[in-house]
Amino acid sequence: MLAGAALITASSLAYFDGETVPAFIVEKLPVRFETLWLASLRIHVVAALLSLPLCTVLMTRTLQRRPTWHRWMGRVAGLLVLFALVPTGIVLAFDAKGGGVVTAGFLLSAAIVAWFMVRGIAAARRRDLVSHRRAMRHVFAQMSVAVTSRALLLGLDAFGIDPALSYVVALWAPVLVSAGVAELVSSNVSNLVRFIRPIRLIQPFHLIVRIRREVSDLVVRVRARSLARPVVREGR
Amino acid sequence: MSACALVLSLVPSFAKADEPSPAAQVQTRVEQGLVKPLADYERSTSRFSRARVPPRERRVRVTQVAASRDASGRAFMAFAVDVRFGTEWRENDLVGCAYTTSGDLFVKRGDAYRPAAFLLGKNVEPVAGVCQSAPTASA
Repeated sequence: MLAGAALITASSLAYFDGETVPAFIVEKLPVRFETLWLASLRIHVVAALLSLPLCTVLMTRTLQRRPTWHRWMGRVAGLLVLFALVPTGIVLAFDAKGGGVVTAGFLLSAAIVAWFMVRGIAAARRRDLVSHRRAMRHVFAQMSVAVTSRALLLGLDAFGIDPALSYVVALWAPVLVSAGVAELVSSNVSNLVRFIRPIRLIQPFHLIVRIRREVSDLVVRVRARSLARPVVREGR
Repeated sequence: MSACALVLSLVPSFAKADEPSPAAQVQTRVEQGLVKPLADYERSTSRFSRARVPPRERRVRVTQVAASRDASGRAFMAFAVDVRFGTEWRENDLVGCAYTTSGDLFVKRGDAYRPAAFLLGKNVEPVAGVCQSAPTASA
């Protein structure tokens, strides 16, 4: 995600060069309310360039173990997202290429980010860390759409898919998949399994979930190595 | 009579046989002055962006047989650039005009015409009155 953010940063530097007009603006102009649109775009880019890496770092265990740092950086990210990223994103959404379908996709993403950011902050303030984590996963998942959507655009282009169609697919697919993954990761997977328990096929999945809850990744790796070691020794 | 025909056939034509037509000249000008630099520019910019991916191919069509004249009397010809992303061509992805004498190229964005350098990332404003045929004077 950080690599994606770095790539976006590199390609966004042109937005602050007064002499050149980036390809994205060339493609969009003329737009209604051009001054508002250009100001929104620049604020959106700055807010995104700061908040995406910030949110990525905030999701790491390292920072979560340092509550003071986590809290202050979280406040900065929250302010950026709620008062710069989302409002400007909404302005830009109305002139999105691809028409109403793409506008709806950006607005849905903005709504998810704003809703869960507010809920996440409220949860943190009442020390409900489970709800806070779930809400912030949703925020981060939607912010990751900036990277996954661009990557998907390149992937679809490699298959020669029409850019108008790929723009719609490359927006909606990451928005929906990210929301689904965030919900699946945070929510009770066991609740989901309970819901679909009658289906026998789910049983192995239920078992895996239970095993994963008990056994950490590290233990699994160490055990795998200990199983392989005698075989390797025999090979020598 | 036959001698006259013989003499006429020996008189060299004033039109040069190898000189391209105005439309062909405009086509070459657009290819050299817009399509090629645009492809180079697109290759040099980051593709990890929401800007449209560059097309696989572009082709130029000159959409006028004879040149028109704008209000200041300068002759121009309209052109269109078609693009291909997959297998199908999409017509009129770009439309504009080329001035036959100066070689200036303009592209249409919205209702206005801007110098073609705009597509190459240059911050240039629309130019009023270009690429618009002057109204014919009525007697």
